[in-house]
Amino acid sequence: MANYEPKIVGFLCNWCTYAGADLAGTSRMQYPPNMRPIRVMCSGAVDSVYILRALLEGADGVFMGGCHPGDCHYVSGNYKARRRMVLFNSVMNSLGLDTERVWLRWISAAEGRKFADTVTEMTEHLRKKGPSAFKDKWEV
Amino acid sequence: MKGTLKVDGKNPEATIRSLFARWLKESKLSAVLAPAYSTAGTATVALVSDPEKLSEAAPLLPAMGVNSASIVAEIAREASPNAKVGLFLRPCELRAVVELMKLKQVAPESLLLIGVDCPGTYKAAGFRNVRGKDADFDNRHVREQSGYAENVNFRTACQMCEYPKPLVFDLNVGFVGMDPDKELWIEAATDKGKALLEGVELDAQDEPQKRKQALEKLSAARKARTAARIEELDKAMMGPEKLVEYFADCLNCHNCMKVCPVCYCRECFFDSDTFQRDIAEHVRVSLRKGATRMPSETLLFHLTRMNHMMASCVQCGICEDSCPVTIGLATLFKKVSQNAQKEFDYVSGRSLDEPLPLVTFRESEFLKIGEG
Repeated sequence: MANYEPKIVGFLCNWCTYAGADLAGTSRMQYPPNMRPIRVMCSGAVDSVYILRALLEGADGVFMGGCHPGDCHYVSGNYKARRRMVLFNSVMNSLGLDTERVWLRWISAAEGRKFADTVTEMTEHLRKKGPSAFKDKWEV
Repeated sequence: MKGTLKVDGKNPEATIRSLFARWLKESKLSAVLAPAYSTAGTATVALVSDPEKLSEAAPLLPAMGVNSASIVAEIAREASPNAKVGLFLRPCELRAVVELMKLKQVAPESLLLIGVDCPGTYKAAGFRNVRGKDADFDNRHVREQSGYAENVNFRTACQMCEYPKPLVFDLNVGFVGMDPDKELWIEAATDKGKALLEGVELDAQDEPQKRKQALEKLSAARKARTAARIEELDKAMMGPEKLVEYFADCLNCHNCMKVCPVCYCRECFFDSDTFQRDIAEHVRVSLRKGATRMPSETLLFHLTRMNHMMASCVQCGICEDSCPVTIGLATLFKKVSQNAQKEFDYVSGRSLDEPLPLVTFRESEFLKIGEG
């Protein structure tokens, strides 16, 4: 694909990563525009169904951002997100599906730089990998 | 409390029935939920409350049309002081009941978990013809299966089942490794179970070596078969292309969800407004790839269900039996759930005290996740 630009769906927790993204913006940091951010109240609120729906409908990657372990606004949401991620990866591996397209990262409200760097890193990673196998699969 | 129970007239099934009768007469139980033959000779399940009607119950009936844990979830969501029901269930059914208790879908107070060894069952559909006119079919099955006798006509999931003996029970009735024409192995694991055995004549002793060996041998053989079946499956299913192919026949009927004993939501997420799209939205989604398969989100349903249920899946395979287009779900779910549960050192239905993997956490675990 000559004109391939990775499409990333991002689920950002309201209290940390979304604020971190905001900080990156207000600090005028440059990063690729490939991620469509969706604000969620907690990384623990992102059910696997939303990750899977994005992937099956053709997203090249899904990004989930949450507060650092111990810092969750709801005390334990991110610990639960972490366990759910373990289960998600296990299911994907059992089916031979690519787990490298789904990233979970802890980014605090103060880490604008880390946010910009992570989005850059993920975009480049997906650019190298090429489009998702589901991108053109209409019969999912 | 454990020991052997003498079997009368080479009829282990009748011997178990007379135990039921005793418990109903002594008001230790108000009813028993057990497999039963319908008048038409099909395999079904009955809630028997009258000792006179007990001939309807067939506790050793080797065919499965539902996982009875679904029935338990239906009738025992809340406890009642006016009912004490003995669940006479197979190991996979009891394991599902344990998961449902942990999911707060079944209240344990009004229930007694009475297990029975189960080396395998036939599909309920068509079982009438397998059994024919043989009134002694159940006992013959138990006689055959008390040693290790593989049966290729068993349900797919049964052929891979490594739990011929229940893991959690108040009382268990065993026949594997025994001579079921002469004696059954009875074991009470809790006070509730011991109370049932009061006045029952047992020859108290330790679990016979022969029984232990038979159970181990069966488990080992099943594990080996599971490994071989999963290897076969991997050739047919791994990767996006083959996965789509594997589910290509799916009609999106959601039967696999409806019959699943541990899929516990009263209203499935997939029936909720989240998945209601109007026609303009459908067209917009279709525009992305130029076409969408209809009904939409078929694969999404299966992948999500795996993510939601794999931690509790008891691998009973009733999903496969209910699939109108015979998608090989039993082996698939066996593999996916085994791998998922291994991550958390969890076995579904193994214990009432182990917390469900997705409702608990430790601070210092899976430290690589989220760190890139």
